[in-house]
Amino acid sequence: NQIELKTAPADFRFPTTNQTRHCFTRYIEFHRCTTAKGEDSNDCERFAKYYRALCPGEWVDKWNEQRETGTFPGPL
Amino acid sequence: MFVWWRDVLRESTLEGHHTKVVQLGPRYGSILFIVSEVMFFFAFFWASSHSSLAPAVEIGGIWPPKGIGVLDPWEIPFLNTPILPSSGAAVTWAHHAILAGKEKRAVYALVATVLLALVFTGFQGMEYYQAPFTISDSIYGSTFFLATGFHGFHVIIGTLFLIICGIRQYLGHLTKEHHVGFEAAAWYWHFVDVVWLFLLVAIYWWGGI
Repeated sequence: NQIELKTAPADFRFPTTNQTRHCFTRYIEFHRCTTAKGEDSNDCERFAKYYRALCPGEWVDKWNEQRETGTFPGPL
Repeated sequence: MFVWWRDVLRESTLEGHHTKVVQLGPRYGSILFIVSEVMFFFAFFWASSHSSLAPAVEIGGIWPPKGIGVLDPWEIPFLNTPILPSSGAAVTWAHHAILAGKEKRAVYALVATVLLALVFTGFQGMEYYQAPFTISDSIYGSTFFLATGFHGFHVIIGTLFLIICGIRQYLGHLTKEHHVGFEAAAWYWHFVDVVWLFLLVAIYWWGGI
Protein backbone atom coordinates (compact mmCIF):
# COMPACT_ATOMS: atom_id res chain seq x y z
CA ASN A 1 0.00 0.00 0.00
CA GLN A 2 1.00 3.57 -0.63
CA ILE A 3 2.88 5.45 2.10
CA GLU A 4 1.05 8.68 2.72
CA LEU A 5 3.30 11.76 2.79
CA LYS A 6 1.62 14.75 4.36
CA THR A 7 2.56 17.86 6.18
CA ALA A 8 0.70 20.62 7.98
CA PRO A 9 -1.65 22.48 5.62
CA ALA A 10 -0.85 25.97 4.50
CA ASP A 11 -2.39 28.40 6.97
CA PHE A 12 -3.42 31.79 5.63
CA ARG A 13 -2.62 33.31 9.05
CA PHE A 14 1.04 32.69 8.26
CA PRO A 15 1.63 33.54 4.60
CA THR A 16 5.36 34.24 4.93
CA THR A 17 8.28 31.99 4.18
CA ASN A 18 9.29 32.12 7.84
CA GLN A 19 6.91 29.66 9.47
CA THR A 20 8.19 30.05 13.03
CA ARG A 21 4.96 31.55 14.29
CA HIS A 22 2.97 28.84 12.53
CA CYS A 23 4.94 26.15 14.36
CA PHE A 24 4.64 27.99 17.68
CA THR A 25 0.92 28.56 17.27
CA ARG A 26 0.26 24.89 16.49
CA TYR A 27 2.33 23.83 19.51
CA ILE A 28 0.30 26.12 21.75
CA GLU A 29 -2.97 25.00 20.15
CA PHE A 30 -2.09 21.37 20.87
CA HIS A 31 -1.43 22.06 24.53
CA ARG A 32 -4.50 24.20 24.91
CA CYS A 33 -6.48 21.37 23.35
CA THR A 34 -5.12 18.77 25.78
CA THR A 35 -5.80 21.11 28.70
CA ALA A 36 -9.38 21.56 27.54
CA LYS A 37 -10.19 18.06 26.36
CA GLY A 38 -7.92 15.85 28.40
CA GLU A 39 -4.47 14.39 27.82
CA ASP A 40 -5.54 11.37 25.78
CA SER A 41 -8.18 12.97 23.61
CA ASN A 42 -8.14 12.09 19.92
CA ASP A 43 -9.22 15.54 18.85
CA CYS A 44 -5.82 16.87 19.69
CA GLU A 45 -3.91 14.45 17.50
CA ARG A 46 -4.44 16.76 14.54
CA PHE A 47 -2.59 19.62 16.21
CA ALA A 48 0.11 17.24 17.36
CA LYS A 49 0.77 16.11 13.79
CA TYR A 50 0.90 19.73 12.62
CA TYR A 51 3.40 20.95 15.16
CA ARG A 52 5.56 17.86 14.81
CA ALA A 53 5.68 18.42 11.06
CA LEU A 54 6.48 22.11 11.30
CA CYS A 55 8.72 22.54 14.31
CA PRO A 56 12.41 21.64 14.61
CA GLY A 57 12.94 18.90 17.15
CA GLU A 58 15.26 21.03 19.25
CA TRP A 59 12.60 23.69 19.73
CA VAL A 60 10.01 21.13 20.78
CA ASP A 61 12.45 19.61 23.28
CA LYS A 62 13.30 23.04 24.66
CA TRP A 63 9.64 24.03 25.00
CA ASN A 64 8.73 20.73 26.64
CA GLU A 65 11.47 21.26 29.17
CA GLN A 66 10.27 24.82 29.78
CA ARG A 67 6.76 23.57 30.36
CA GLU A 68 8.03 21.06 32.89
CA THR A 69 9.98 23.67 34.85
CA GLY A 70 7.15 26.19 34.59
CA THR A 71 9.18 28.66 32.55
CA PHE A 72 7.36 28.37 29.23
CA PRO A 73 6.63 31.95 28.17
CA GLY A 74 3.69 31.31 25.90
CA PRO A 75 -0.02 31.59 26.63
CA LEU A 76 -0.82 27.90 27.22
CA MET B 1 29.92 73.43 29.86
CA PHE B 2 29.50 75.70 32.83
CA VAL B 3 32.39 77.81 31.61
CA TRP B 4 31.04 77.90 28.05
CA TRP B 5 27.66 79.20 29.07
CA ARG B 6 29.08 81.51 31.65
CA ASP B 7 30.98 83.13 28.80
CA VAL B 8 27.88 83.25 26.61
CA LEU B 9 26.01 85.06 29.36
CA ARG B 10 28.88 87.45 29.86
CA GLU B 11 29.10 88.26 26.15
CA SER B 12 25.37 88.65 25.68
CA THR B 13 23.83 90.02 28.82
CA LEU B 14 26.78 91.92 30.25
CA GLU B 15 28.79 92.98 27.20
CA GLY B 16 25.89 93.45 24.78
CA HIS B 17 27.31 91.52 21.81
CA HIS B 18 24.07 89.71 21.01
CA THR B 19 22.33 91.87 18.44
CA LYS B 20 19.13 90.63 16.80
CA VAL B 21 21.16 89.01 14.05
CA VAL B 22 23.50 87.28 16.48
CA GLN B 23 20.47 86.02 18.42
CA LEU B 24 19.32 84.10 15.36
CA GLY B 25 22.28 81.77 15.81
CA PRO B 26 21.28 80.46 19.24
CA ARG B 27 17.62 80.45 18.21
CA TYR B 28 18.13 78.25 15.16
CA GLY B 29 20.67 76.24 17.05
CA SER B 30 18.20 75.47 19.84
CA ILE B 31 15.53 74.46 17.38
CA LEU B 32 17.91 72.17 15.49
CA PHE B 33 19.12 70.67 18.74
CA ILE B 34 15.56 69.89 19.74
CA VAL B 35 14.97 68.31 16.31
CA SER B 36 18.02 66.10 16.90
CA GLU B 37 16.56 65.11 20.27
CA VAL B 38 13.32 64.17 18.54
CA MET B 39 15.37 61.83 16.33
CA PHE B 40 16.99 60.44 19.46
CA PHE B 41 13.66 59.58 21.07
CA PHE B 42 12.29 58.30 17.77
CA ALA B 43 14.94 55.59 17.94
CA PHE B 44 13.83 54.41 21.37
CA PHE B 45 10.17 54.45 20.41
CA TRP B 46 11.09 52.41 17.35
CA ALA B 47 12.94 49.93 19.53
CA SER B 48 9.93 49.59 21.78
CA SER B 49 7.55 49.14 18.85
CA HIS B 50 9.84 46.63 17.18
CA SER B 51 9.62 44.36 20.19
CA SER B 52 6.05 44.99 21.22
CA LEU B 53 4.09 44.99 17.96
CA ALA B 54 5.15 41.50 16.86
CA PRO B 55 6.42 39.84 20.03
CA ALA B 56 9.03 37.18 19.41
CA VAL B 57 8.36 33.49 19.86
CA GLU B 58 11.17 33.43 22.43
CA ILE B 59 9.05 35.52 24.80
CA GLY B 60 5.93 33.54 24.03
CA GLY B 61 4.50 35.65 21.23
CA ILE B 62 2.69 37.84 23.73
CA TRP B 63 3.13 41.38 25.02
CA PRO B 64 3.67 42.23 27.83
CA PRO B 65 5.78 39.14 28.37
CA LYS B 66 4.65 36.57 30.89
CA GLY B 67 5.49 37.46 34.44
CA ILE B 68 5.94 41.20 33.91
CA GLY B 69 3.94 43.09 36.52
CA VAL B 70 2.89 45.98 34.32
CA LEU B 71 2.44 49.39 35.96
CA ASP B 72 -1.14 50.60 35.92
CA PRO B 73 -1.20 53.55 33.51
CA TRP B 74 -4.16 55.02 35.39
CA GLU B 75 -2.19 55.42 38.61
CA ILE B 76 1.05 57.40 38.77
CA PRO B 77 1.41 57.95 35.01
CA PHE B 78 -2.13 59.35 34.84
CA LEU B 79 -1.39 61.54 37.86
CA ASN B 80 1.76 62.82 36.20
CA THR B 81 -0.09 63.61 32.99
CA PRO B 82 -1.68 66.84 34.21
CA ILE B 83 1.43 67.77 36.17
CA LEU B 84 3.90 68.06 33.33
CA PRO B 85 1.60 69.94 30.91
CA SER B 86 0.67 72.26 33.79
CA SER B 87 4.34 72.97 34.17
CA GLY B 88 4.35 73.72 30.44
CA ALA B 89 1.47 76.11 30.93
CA ALA B 90 3.34 77.78 33.78
CA VAL B 91 6.37 78.36 31.57
CA THR B 92 4.07 79.98 29.00
CA TRP B 93 2.67 82.12 31.78
CA ALA B 94 6.22 83.12 32.65
CA HIS B 95 6.89 83.99 29.03
CA HIS B 96 3.86 86.24 28.86
CA ALA B 97 4.95 87.90 32.09
CA ILE B 98 8.40 88.56 30.66
CA LEU B 99 6.90 90.00 27.47
CA ALA B 100 4.65 92.25 29.51
CA GLY B 101 7.55 93.45 31.59
CA LYS B 102 6.10 92.00 34.79
CA GLU B 103 9.39 90.88 36.23
CA LYS B 104 8.29 89.64 39.66
CA ARG B 105 5.39 87.69 38.21
CA ALA B 106 7.77 85.99 35.80
CA VAL B 107 9.89 84.80 38.71
CA TYR B 108 6.82 83.39 40.45
CA ALA B 109 5.72 81.65 37.26
CA LEU B 110 9.15 80.10 36.82
CA VAL B 111 9.11 78.93 40.44
CA ALA B 112 5.75 77.29 39.78
CA THR B 113 7.14 75.67 36.64
CA VAL B 114 10.11 74.22 38.49
CA LEU B 115 8.05 73.06 41.46
CA LEU B 116 5.67 71.15 39.20
CA ALA B 117 8.65 69.67 37.38
CA LEU B 118 10.17 68.50 40.66
CA VAL B 119 6.86 66.94 41.72
CA PHE B 120 6.74 65.07 38.40
CA THR B 121 10.30 63.85 38.82
CA GLY B 122 9.57 62.86 42.40
CA PHE B 123 6.59 60.73 41.44
CA GLN B 124 8.53 59.09 38.61
CA GLY B 125 11.38 58.35 41.00
CA MET B 126 8.96 56.79 43.48
CA GLU B 127 7.46 54.64 40.80
CA TYR B 128 10.89 53.54 39.59
CA TYR B 129 11.80 52.58 43.13
CA GLN B 130 8.80 50.37 43.70
CA ALA B 131 8.37 48.98 40.18
CA PRO B 132 8.01 45.20 40.20
CA PHE B 133 10.34 44.80 37.21
CA THR B 134 13.85 46.05 36.43
CA ILE B 135 15.76 46.98 33.29
CA SER B 136 17.04 43.42 33.07
CA ASP B 137 13.58 41.89 33.00
CA SER B 138 13.37 40.83 29.36
CA ILE B 139 13.07 43.21 26.45
CA TYR B 140 10.07 44.79 28.17
CA GLY B 141 12.19 46.11 31.02
CA SER B 142 14.93 47.22 28.65
CA THR B 143 12.70 49.25 26.35
CA PHE B 144 10.60 50.63 29.21
CA PHE B 145 13.51 51.93 31.26
CA LEU B 146 15.49 53.12 28.26
CA ALA B 147 12.65 55.26 26.94
CA THR B 148 11.34 56.52 30.28
CA GLY B 149 14.83 56.83 31.71
CA PHE B 150 16.11 59.06 28.96
CA HIS B 151 12.93 61.08 29.22
CA GLY B 152 13.55 61.51 32.94
CA PHE B 153 17.11 62.57 32.25
CA HIS B 154 15.82 65.20 29.83
CA VAL B 155 13.29 66.38 32.40
CA ILE B 156 16.09 66.88 34.89
CA ILE B 157 18.21 68.78 32.38
CA GLY B 158 15.20 70.91 31.44
CA THR B 159 14.45 71.61 35.09
CA LEU B 160 18.03 72.74 35.62
CA PHE B 161 17.78 75.03 32.58
CA LEU B 162 14.56 76.51 33.93
CA ILE B 163 16.08 77.05 37.37
CA ILE B 164 18.90 78.97 35.75
CA CYS B 165 16.36 81.04 33.80
CA GLY B 166 14.59 81.71 37.08
CA ILE B 167 17.81 82.92 38.67
CA ARG B 168 18.64 85.08 35.66
CA GLN B 169 15.18 86.58 35.65
CA TYR B 170 15.51 87.35 39.35
CA LEU B 171 18.85 89.02 38.67
CA GLY B 172 17.27 91.07 35.88
CA HIS B 173 19.14 89.52 32.94
CA LEU B 174 16.03 89.02 30.82
CA THR B 175 14.25 91.90 29.09
CA LYS B 176 11.00 91.88 27.23
CA GLU B 177 12.76 92.17 23.89
CA HIS B 178 15.71 89.92 24.55
CA HIS B 179 15.41 86.57 26.30
CA VAL B 180 16.66 83.94 23.88
CA GLY B 181 17.92 81.68 26.66
CA PHE B 182 14.50 81.64 28.26
CA GLU B 183 12.81 80.89 24.94
CA ALA B 184 15.19 78.00 24.32
CA ALA B 185 14.37 76.62 27.79
CA ALA B 186 10.64 76.98 27.13
CA TRP B 187 10.85 75.24 23.76
CA TYR B 188 12.90 72.44 25.30
CA TRP B 189 10.36 72.13 28.07
CA HIS B 190 7.45 71.83 25.65
CA PHE B 191 9.38 69.18 23.73
CA VAL B 192 9.91 67.20 26.95
CA ASP B 193 6.19 67.51 27.64
CA VAL B 194 5.22 66.14 24.21
CA VAL B 195 7.62 63.22 24.59
CA TRP B 196 5.91 62.39 27.89
CA LEU B 197 2.55 62.22 26.15
CA PHE B 198 3.95 59.85 23.54
CA LEU B 199 5.54 57.75 26.28
CA LEU B 200 2.25 57.59 28.11
CA VAL B 201 0.37 56.32 25.10
CA ALA B 202 2.97 54.04 23.51
CA ILE B 203 4.70 52.54 26.51
CA TYR B 204 2.57 52.89 29.59
CA TRP B 205 -0.85 52.47 28.12
CA TRP B 206 -0.49 50.50 24.89
CA GLY B 207 2.57 48.59 26.06
CA GLY B 208 0.75 47.22 29.05
CA ILE B 209 -2.41 46.01 27.38
